[in-house]
Amino acid sequence: MDYIVHVAVLASIFATLAISLDLVIGRTGLLSVAHAAFYGLGAYSTALFSVRLGLPIYAGVLAGLLLAALVSLVVSLPSLRLRDDYFAIATFGFQLIIYNTFNNWTSLTNGALGVFGIPQPTVFGRVFSSRLDFLGVSLATVALAYWIVQRLSSGPHGRVLSAIRESELLALALGKNTLRFKLVVFAVSAALASVAGATYAVYTSYIDPSSFTVMESILVISMVIIGGPGSSRGVILGAVTLVVLPEILRTIGLPSAVSANLRQIIYGSLLVGMMMFRPRGLLGRYSFGR
Amino acid sequence: MLHEFFIYGLIAGSGYALVALGFALIYRTVRFFNFAHGAVYTIGAYLAFVFYVLLGLPLAVAVLLAVPITGLIGVGFEWAVFRPMRARNASSLTLLIASLGLLILGQNVIALIFGNDTQVIHSGVVHEGAMIFGARITTIQETIFVAALVLFGLTAALLRLTRLGVALRAVANDPELARVAGVKDGQVITFAYFLGSCLAAAASVMIALDTNMTPTMGLHALLYGMVAVIVGGAGSLWGAYFGGLLLGVAQNVAVWQISADWQDVVAFVILIVFLLVRPEGLTSLRMRKGGV
Repeated sequence: MDYIVHVAVLASIFATLAISLDLVIGRTGLLSVAHAAFYGLGAYSTALFSVRLGLPIYAGVLAGLLLAALVSLVVSLPSLRLRDDYFAIATFGFQLIIYNTFNNWTSLTNGALGVFGIPQPTVFGRVFSSRLDFLGVSLATVALAYWIVQRLSSGPHGRVLSAIRESELLALALGKNTLRFKLVVFAVSAALASVAGATYAVYTSYIDPSSFTVMESILVISMVIIGGPGSSRGVILGAVTLVVLPEILRTIGLPSAVSANLRQIIYGSLLVGMMMFRPRGLLGRYSFGR
Repeated sequence: MLHEFFIYGLIAGSGYALVALGFALIYRTVRFFNFAHGAVYTIGAYLAFVFYVLLGLPLAVAVLLAVPITGLIGVGFEWAVFRPMRARNASSLTLLIASLGLLILGQNVIALIFGNDTQVIHSGVVHEGAMIFGARITTIQETIFVAALVLFGLTAALLRLTRLGVALRAVANDPELARVAGVKDGQVITFAYFLGSCLAAAASVMIALDTNMTPTMGLHALLYGMVAVIVGGAGSLWGAYFGGLLLGVAQNVAVWQISADWQDVVAFVILIVFLLVRPEGLTSLRMRKGGV
């Protein structure tokens, strides 16, 4: 039972990541490979604020949120002017820079050894310690991300995003300040990823840079692409599938090294297959990148 | 000291330049960032490992087998995945994601077969090469530097002197016009994938002889190659060469001045600065004049 709750917590953390990345990929049509970097910024801020400064968890979460949004502007303000595939390459670069910072700035982040002993949060005088408590928190995060993404991608705001996705030139011609819309979307997506990171940090109480690699970014991209860009329900399905899959591989008795490789083989093939035969994903409504 | 790191930079840069050259050849004809090139690179090194270490063939024979087979695998990716996608008007971003999938697929299949650990493919004793400006370099490092120059020269000649090479430059410059003039672009793209993948294999075999290999070696090599291409200018062959050397030297000067840990950061800061300030690269003028 404990184990099932554990998998459910991980699945909802990744669902939050996938929903927030979908705001950038599915709703606005930009490919970002830097999502794991924002996820990591949230996790590291939360961890370092509480472990090094002894501040309450909220302070770290809030700082991570602001930091992620701020760094997202540093990424997006200049690079959103680039053509879409060059933008993807620029986010690749930022992802690797931030990962290397986690790994090499040892005096702050403790490098590859990671940060230990992240304290459990207290909410209204009650210490969160059981896995069920965390399941509640992570599900609430999913709901928050879901609601925010729905709000931003419906109504007039959402129609502008769709216009940017389908033809940015057209949106510009209609007098929409597309750069501003893209900046906002990117910042909100980064902030939500940082909240997922904060949840992850307090849940596992230990983080190291290996959770925030470029491969992690690609994993979240796969969740979005497989589930269906532009559909929050679809990307939740994608996230749950790709989190549960390696657990199933492990329960049928494969050694964990093999199952890690097998998982990547499966989602690598799914990426290729989806792009070839069903670019709109399982539940998506439109073809990505057309 | 500076001389020494400069020399090491030129050697590392020669490797990046070869990856960049193969990547740029393909990029110029199909116009998307082909991450599968990283898988092709890794496959080249592991094929050489199979022929040389596992089957015990002489090194030269192993390389001569591994390089064209890798070329064919690159063509296989094009035929099996990218060509059908292009036929359906897939965008460059869709192609990019599919190629990312191929990269992950390729490196994990290799990891399943050969394990995730480092494999060694040393050619016996490491021979001490020349002392140049205080830098002690091995024979394989000398080979990397010379081979890069030779392969760039050969590729340049191929593109100028053969019918397919000229056709490739035509497609690279203006696909529409080339088609109107009767150039078969399918053939040209196949040629670009073959040549580009052979170059990737040549680079990876030499680099594996120098620094061993892991299943994940491809992504890094490819990213450095992309940085070299973007720095040098995606349109120019020699731009990729000098982009590679520049990156190698910049990284090694950073190793000397800061520490080896920050090499990647230096590379990607250079990438981002170029993307923002000069996305057309250093040699854009040559691109406009129509040289490949």
